[in-house]
Amino acid sequence: MENLEDLKLMAEQWTNQGLEYLQKIPPFQLYAAIGLLLLTTVLLLSFRLVRRTKSNTVLLSGLSGSGKTVLFYQLRDGSSHQGSVTSMEPNEGTFVFHFEHAKKGKIKPVHLVDVPGHSRLRPKLEEFLPQAAAIVFVVDALEFLPNCRAASEYLYDILTNANVVKKKIPVLLCCNKTDKLTAHTKEFIKKQMEKEIEKLRASRSAVSTADIANDYTIGIEGEVFSFSHCCNRVTVAEASGLIGETVQVQDFIREYIKP
Amino acid sequence: MLEQLLIFTRGGLILWTCKEIGNALKGSPIDTLIRSCLLEERSGEVSFNYGAYTLKWTFHNDLGLVFVAVYQKILQLLYVDDLLSMVKQSFSEIYDPKRMRYDDFDETFRQLRVEAEARAEEMKRTKQVVKPLNGVKKQGQVSKEETKKSNGEKKDDEGKVSSVSNGNHKMEDDVANGKENSADNNNNNNNSVGVDVSKLAKLRSKGVRGRGGLRKADSIGSNKGSSKVEPPKKATKKNRVWDDAAAAPKQEEKLDFTDEHGDNGHVDVVAAADQGESMMDKEEVFSSDSESEDDDEPISDEKPEAKKKGWFSSVFQSITGKANLERTDLEPALKALKERLMTKNVAEEIAEKLCESVEASLEGKKLASFTRISSTVQGAMEEALIRILTPRRSIDIMRDVHAAKEQRRPYVVVFVGVNGVGKSTNLAKVAYWLQQHKVSVMMAACDTFRSGAVEQLRTHARRLQIPIFEKGYEKDPAVVAKEAIQEATRNGSDVVLVDTAGRMQDNEPLMRALSKLINLNKPDLVLFVGEALVGNDAVDQLSKFNQKLSDLSTSGSTRLIDGILLTKFDTIDDKVGAALSMVYISGAPVMFVGCGQSYTDLKKLNVKAIVKTLLK
Repeated sequence: MENLEDLKLMAEQWTNQGLEYLQKIPPFQLYAAIGLLLLTTVLLLSFRLVRRTKSNTVLLSGLSGSGKTVLFYQLRDGSSHQGSVTSMEPNEGTFVFHFEHAKKGKIKPVHLVDVPGHSRLRPKLEEFLPQAAAIVFVVDALEFLPNCRAASEYLYDILTNANVVKKKIPVLLCCNKTDKLTAHTKEFIKKQMEKEIEKLRASRSAVSTADIANDYTIGIEGEVFSFSHCCNRVTVAEASGLIGETVQVQDFIREYIKP
Repeated sequence: MLEQLLIFTRGGLILWTCKEIGNALKGSPIDTLIRSCLLEERSGEVSFNYGAYTLKWTFHNDLGLVFVAVYQKILQLLYVDDLLSMVKQSFSEIYDPKRMRYDDFDETFRQLRVEAEARAEEMKRTKQVVKPLNGVKKQGQVSKEETKKSNGEKKDDEGKVSSVSNGNHKMEDDVANGKENSADNNNNNNNSVGVDVSKLAKLRSKGVRGRGGLRKADSIGSNKGSSKVEPPKKATKKNRVWDDAAAAPKQEEKLDFTDEHGDNGHVDVVAAADQGESMMDKEEVFSSDSESEDDDEPISDEKPEAKKKGWFSSVFQSITGKANLERTDLEPALKALKERLMTKNVAEEIAEKLCESVEASLEGKKLASFTRISSTVQGAMEEALIRILTPRRSIDIMRDVHAAKEQRRPYVVVFVGVNGVGKSTNLAKVAYWLQQHKVSVMMAACDTFRSGAVEQLRTHARRLQIPIFEKGYEKDPAVVAKEAIQEATRNGSDVVLVDTAGRMQDNEPLMRALSKLINLNKPDLVLFVGEALVGNDAVDQLSKFNQKLSDLSTSGSTRLIDGILLTKFDTIDDKVGAALSMVYISGAPVMFVGCGQSYTDLKKLNVKAIVKTLLK
């Protein structure tokens, strides 16, 4: 008990001394010091806020077997190593593209996430969507027609997701495996996807107003759907994961994540 | 002979394949393994068969690696498990997340394989010497295995002699010894098998009765009948005759109680039933309450003693988070979890398999700091449950209906299930929902057995104002369905809902009739109606239905159960385990949930709510 009282007395003495000291300083200096402190904190906070909105995450999504994992390793290492199997977990990495290693100077690395395409692992995509700055939707140009419906449903779900619509996240429709002879062209794929999404739009909007499945609807009422109707930018490109033809994908990513 | 051994990451990148045996594999066994076994939470199983191959696997959960060995199904190689664990150990020593190529591992692997094969041969030799006089059945089996093995070994030996360099004298000696031993033992086994065939027959009959249990009442009856004198035949009920050919015209008259002139006169034109929006379209609001508090108490009550002893060390470990999870650590937590699942009405078999799968995925993993073992196990189980209940393919029926409409044919849905689960009621609910979305529906009354089934559907049809196709009772349901579909094509209905009679999964003639209906009409959706009150029988029902449908299917595609309709969901409070059992055993998604007895009581399955209820 005595210790406590002693401590209290000492604390009181210190506070008195501090107050006396403060009162000695001319008021102008005091105000200047406080003003400077406030200004710096405000500036720091504003910088942090501005920096937070510019994330550098890019998502690689698409159906299972479309070539996302191969593309991921091509962008990172320049080779697809010994091949890949169906992914069970996402592949993440923050790196500068392999082809950009030659460039000098400090280039901002890209946080690339390869989300598994298997339908049972679909919830993983929703974990990553809030932090995405751009989405690359990979489509198998070789086996396109059998998977057209599933691919368009997946793309529809992405385009109507709340995060994507609100933040206007740009989407690249990447047609993979174009090194093969019988692969379809990107124009064909784009048209087919637009047609399928149009059908989906018709069947899903026929459901009542409380639509649990999709957050928003896309496209303009009364007109056939086209990718230009989306509020976020949707572009189409070609690539080949196996031979390393990924220039268009890299350009797209660098458009939104400045080096 | 090993076909291939692969090491890959959980993210999908192949790190190493065995280059010695560069055989290209037929089909894509690895992808199929991942899709139909590992992602379906069956990783606790021993092996997986694909075509002519058998696959075995093991995980290294800490580094996120998967090791898979592929070999021919007919060879029963013993050393695979051993080899996989040795490979796992040695590879994890040289593994580096930055490295992508591991060519130096080839040499290590070759040595390991030679070691494992030698060890397996030794074990086989010791087994043969030690056990000459075991139970007859066991020996019978062992001899069969050994003949297969010796054949396999002979192939191995030839291969080895050609591929391994000649400097390896020790190996050749062992091989020679192995050959001699197996030749001797073959002779021994042949003699012993010859003597004990009669014993084998007796044991076999005993075995059947022992294993029969509840379901093989037939075999028990037949055994009893053979040993005792047959009791005098009582006057039994005349069995219902199912085939059209044998139906006597007199029986038809007696049983067909449909009132020719009656119905239309009695009932006035009923106003179209409009009970508002079907619950399929309404958003579900569920409360999110904190669940972590409840878990701690039951677990702590069960094992107070063990906790006191290891309390300080476990707390220390949970803070530092360095401990590698071992099987012994996981067992108590998994056991508690399994019991909790079983109290929620999950079938026992399914709960067991799930726990094994979670165990396989957590073993060897490092605990994250500040987490307890029980919370890690809970998290893993939750993820596994969400993965199982998430549908494998899209369950968007409206889209399918529109697709069928474009092809100018009706979309046919067949409702199957055991007796009394609610097929007719839920058929009406689905019809109501479809009608609300401006789809023209037609009902087909193919339940020609139960009295009143046709009238029941007729009443529903009148209330919903949709056409119904009926042919009365005692007709072949397959033919009725075919005519109904033709009628629908003629008058342009979008959807045909076919109601069938309830049948037990063991009833052979009824299951045959069902597969005839499905083969003849090739429906777009085979919907299995199951009630949420069912317990362990769900596993049996679904597996037998699927098996019978695949066995009795004619040429072309085999139609299995495409979807599940879960009924009587409002009667169970939180014992929602039947949904999990059904989805796990059949792989079909739950498309609808019936939660009441009026037309609007039809919902979609809310995966997150079910998982939360199961783990509460």
